[in-house]
Amino acid sequence: MGRQLTVAGVSLEIEEKGQGRPILFLHPGEGLQANRPWMDALARSHRVIAPVHPGFGGSALPDWIGTVDDLAYLYLDLARQLKLDGAVLAGNCFGGWIAAEMAVRNTAGFAGLLLAAPLGIKAGGVLDRDITDMHAIGRTDFMRLAWADPSKGEIDYTKLPDTELAGIARGREALCVFGWKPYMHNPRLKRWLHRIDIPTHLIWGEQDGIVSTSYGEAWKAEIPGATMETLPQAGHYPHWEQPDAFAARVKAFTDRI
Amino acid sequence: MRTWYFSEMAYHPAWEKGLERGSLRVNFPSENLDPREAGLLLNRYLDEFALCDEVGLDIMVNEHHSTATCMTVSVPMALSVIARETKKARLLSLGNPIANRPDPVRVAEEMAWLDCLSGGRIEIGLVKGAPYEIAPANSNPGRLMRRYWEAHDLVIKALSTSTGPFSWEGEFYQYRAVNIWPRPIQQPTPPIWMTGMSVDTGIAAAERGHVVGTLLSGGLAKPMYEAYRKRARELGWEAGPDRMAYAALIGVGNTREEGMRRAHQIADYVRTSPVVAEPFTNPPGYNSIGANVAMLRAGPRAHRMITDRNGVTIDHRTATVEQFMDTETVFAGTPDDVFNQLKAFNARMGGVGHLLFFGQGGHLSHQDAKENISLFGREVAPRLLELGVPEQAAAE
Repeated sequence: MGRQLTVAGVSLEIEEKGQGRPILFLHPGEGLQANRPWMDALARSHRVIAPVHPGFGGSALPDWIGTVDDLAYLYLDLARQLKLDGAVLAGNCFGGWIAAEMAVRNTAGFAGLLLAAPLGIKAGGVLDRDITDMHAIGRTDFMRLAWADPSKGEIDYTKLPDTELAGIARGREALCVFGWKPYMHNPRLKRWLHRIDIPTHLIWGEQDGIVSTSYGEAWKAEIPGATMETLPQAGHYPHWEQPDAFAARVKAFTDRI
Repeated sequence: MRTWYFSEMAYHPAWEKGLERGSLRVNFPSENLDPREAGLLLNRYLDEFALCDEVGLDIMVNEHHSTATCMTVSVPMALSVIARETKKARLLSLGNPIANRPDPVRVAEEMAWLDCLSGGRIEIGLVKGAPYEIAPANSNPGRLMRRYWEAHDLVIKALSTSTGPFSWEGEFYQYRAVNIWPRPIQQPTPPIWMTGMSVDTGIAAAERGHVVGTLLSGGLAKPMYEAYRKRARELGWEAGPDRMAYAALIGVGNTREEGMRRAHQIADYVRTSPVVAEPFTNPPGYNSIGANVAMLRAGPRAHRMITDRNGVTIDHRTATVEQFMDTETVFAGTPDDVFNQLKAFNARMGGVGHLLFFGQGGHLSHQDAKENISLFGREVAPRLLELGVPEQAAAE
């Protein structure tokens, strides 16, 4: 369990580790999962600050918070409260969507934006499903699409304590509150991505079955000067599946900005 | 005990294919339905509803979407037809899945219109809806009950306000001029019903004085009714049987064997209705956090079971009529058998004022359905009307 910090009246659970250039890391829809090795890998050369989203784990979800806009303003407040300067704003999956919503509003305190397989924009036509409907497939199919090697992602829920299971159940509901309709995106976001005025780098797992690399290309085309690279043997959560390779790519990005 | 007949107007010709695919709902393509056959079946089912009026039964209609188990896609559409074809039967919408409806004012309009059309025979169920209704409606399962309660309050306010327009600026619904025409005959609103399977639902219904209904499990119904009665007492009133409703599958025949055979065919409803692809059974937010913790703890292979009066678990998908009778899901036999079973059930439950009589299901033929309805209406329902608060419960 991380420490609790109150931001804009919301009690947030925050994990923090390491020294160096700060990374504000916004976790995916599957949760923070701080016990996986990704955090240690990133913390070898950075100060990693990772809040648990409202409604997930040990973070509160007050009635008045219900949209990704709310999360963007909340985390901009958090960055100011922590007096972040020259930090990297990073996010994966749902967290990438939040990071982009922050960056189109205000990049003060941030030197770069790192998006790993973000959700959040509409790229194709009305009949094109840009983002796999994760709520219309069974857990086994979801794991197969979200991981290059699903066995690395398996969690035996029957062995977790009730408090942790309750945090997972709360998080699953919160993800729906924020992203059910339109499904995991903001139809207006793509048109505002041009406002992002800091160096931006996209990382994509080559076996990502939730959002494809061509969806990543649509992001790259809208953000001025954005770069993109793919990671082999990785699915939708490259920081979990290839923690060392992911951390190396992040370090290469932060070294050049 | 009043009796309300209902049927889901199933498209059973596609069941076999659906069972092979492991899903009769949501992702079962409609190429498996022949629209002309659907039309014939709908007309047949509406004839069965009309027969109820002749034999003294009230009528209930429900709705589901994207499924071979139920072709009623709109309660008000079905009740419009039935209201014109009946004269005496009270007509229960059970119900309007208001958390899945984008426009609660439209729900109030439709119910008021039906109340006028039917001469004040409408009763209004405001229901949460089943979990697999979330996907067809694409309604957000997150904060579902907050949305339900706001819609509930708005429907009642719209029905009971005759000095509008009024404005509504809520969390989920916003209107600037609510002023429904026509307004209902029954004032301030037609009777309101809720449904559920938990103690919490019993308490919530008691706090509003609504009728509370549940289905297919006496083991779940009893604590809900008890919670209702206790909460009503705390609030200073006595909840009689007319606040409690129970839905069961019933097969009645001239012989015990005939009644059992009809019940066996109707029970295919319970055997097929839970067959739905995994992700639609529990959208996040639909069930409480506590229930989800229990499901995660139980592991992926666990599925919904209920227990009978002796604590034995029953699998809904494969159970026999006899097993279903032990869980009070089914009542079956001759008119005397069924009356005696229901009398005993009424006593166990402390008084149930409304029986929702599931009297047609799937492969039960038109002829059998008509005989089931007629026999129940003539031989059982009049005797049930005499059942009130059971002596034991009244003495407590």
